[in-house]
Amino acid sequence: MKFLCIPCDEQMETQTDGIMPDESKNLAMKFKCKKCGHMIAMLTNKFETEFVSKLGVEMGGASGEGKAPLSVVGSQLAQAKKELDRGKPEDNLIWTEEAQERIKRVPFFVRNMAKKTVINFALEKGVTLIDGKLMDEVREKVGM
Amino acid sequence: MKTYEDLAGDGGSNIISQVVSQREKLRSRLDKIKNKVALMSGKGGVGKSSITANIAACLADQGYSVGILDADLNGPSIGHLLGVGNDQKLIINDDGIQPGQGSRGIKIMSMDMLVSSPDTPVMWTEEAGATAVWVSTMESTALRELLADTNWGELDFLLIDMPPGSDRMDNIRELIPELAGAVEITIPSPLSQHIVAKSITKNNTMGVPIIGLIENMATYVCPHCDQEGKLFEGQDVAQLADRKGISLIGRIPFDTRVSRKTDSGNLFYTENKDSITGKAIASAVDNILKFIKKNSK
Repeated sequence: MKFLCIPCDEQMETQTDGIMPDESKNLAMKFKCKKCGHMIAMLTNKFETEFVSKLGVEMGGASGEGKAPLSVVGSQLAQAKKELDRGKPEDNLIWTEEAQERIKRVPFFVRNMAKKTVINFALEKGVTLIDGKLMDEVREKVGM
Repeated sequence: MKTYEDLAGDGGSNIISQVVSQREKLRSRLDKIKNKVALMSGKGGVGKSSITANIAACLADQGYSVGILDADLNGPSIGHLLGVGNDQKLIINDDGIQPGQGSRGIKIMSMDMLVSSPDTPVMWTEEAGATAVWVSTMESTALRELLADTNWGELDFLLIDMPPGSDRMDNIRELIPELAGAVEITIPSPLSQHIVAKSITKNNTMGVPIIGLIENMATYVCPHCDQEGKLFEGQDVAQLADRKGISLIGRIPFDTRVSRKTDSGNLFYTENKDSITGKAIASAVDNILKFIKKNSK
């Protein structure tokens, strides 16, 4: 699927920042025309989100976590062995247990983008602790 | 206005290259495995996993290197049969996950090795509202990752222990188009044969090569006196094979020892190859090898 800005006749680019699915797995993917800056959002419901998850690919490009062995199984299997747990964000910020759980529940194919969104929001705000409240603020900001 | 083909990329996600990369990873793993064989049955409870494990032991006994993929994601039993406990620590590096080392050096990969305790079921979410679409899509993905991300190394045989039913074969065919074939397993009961006939028909329709039909629990072997007797009053399984145009490649007796490890932790076949049941397993393996040799020319 590709998106075209009709007035500019230019392909729109996936925005890797500004994504945070809600608990019901509804999702908004943002695309921007690099020529005129116009943005659109592609909205998917839970079923569409789950269907795309089958591909085992990541929107916004493959991350290191996505290329790791058993990346999808390890990130989605409930009560998996701890050796498979790669959902923990790797950065210098402090993620509360609730925040870690919430980010792990984000569908695999957009999780890396959701992490970036939260981290960028925290850095902009100048905070080092990421908790449930901050994630609620992120969701409020990105409009989900 | 530009068309789909006019746009070179997909806006930054490179989905196509990610899918290609997945396929290349799978292909490079499978290229090191000479023969891939699926063992399946339309019907549950016919002894697929026990037969698979003992066929693997027989192949290993003949000097072949063997691995088993436990494709029964929700009812995994291969680890239990081959002595790979759930408590084994997973070794994962950039090259993949190390398979479990079962009896006779047989390599295995099973969902049972990935969950946190022996009683933990395979669940893709703990939310009550999990949809069938989600579970189904996750199972397809899991099968691909178990195949592609397990460091099987060089193998002569990869046996795929299929779940009951024939629906998973759709996935396997997509992932392993070079599959040497499928071994169908039934017991003599008319009900089992009725269901297995559907599985054979589906495989024939899909163009899956069928190596042959194994009749499990064909007779009963007394563990005390090693005498053979009749167990089921069913239809002749040979008639089913004839009707479907496939070979009956084995008749294996019901033997209570087949699904248990021996006192020294080995599979039944390894220590009982000269028993009636052991010879029946060896005969089925001989037929599988003949089929593969004939069809690989």
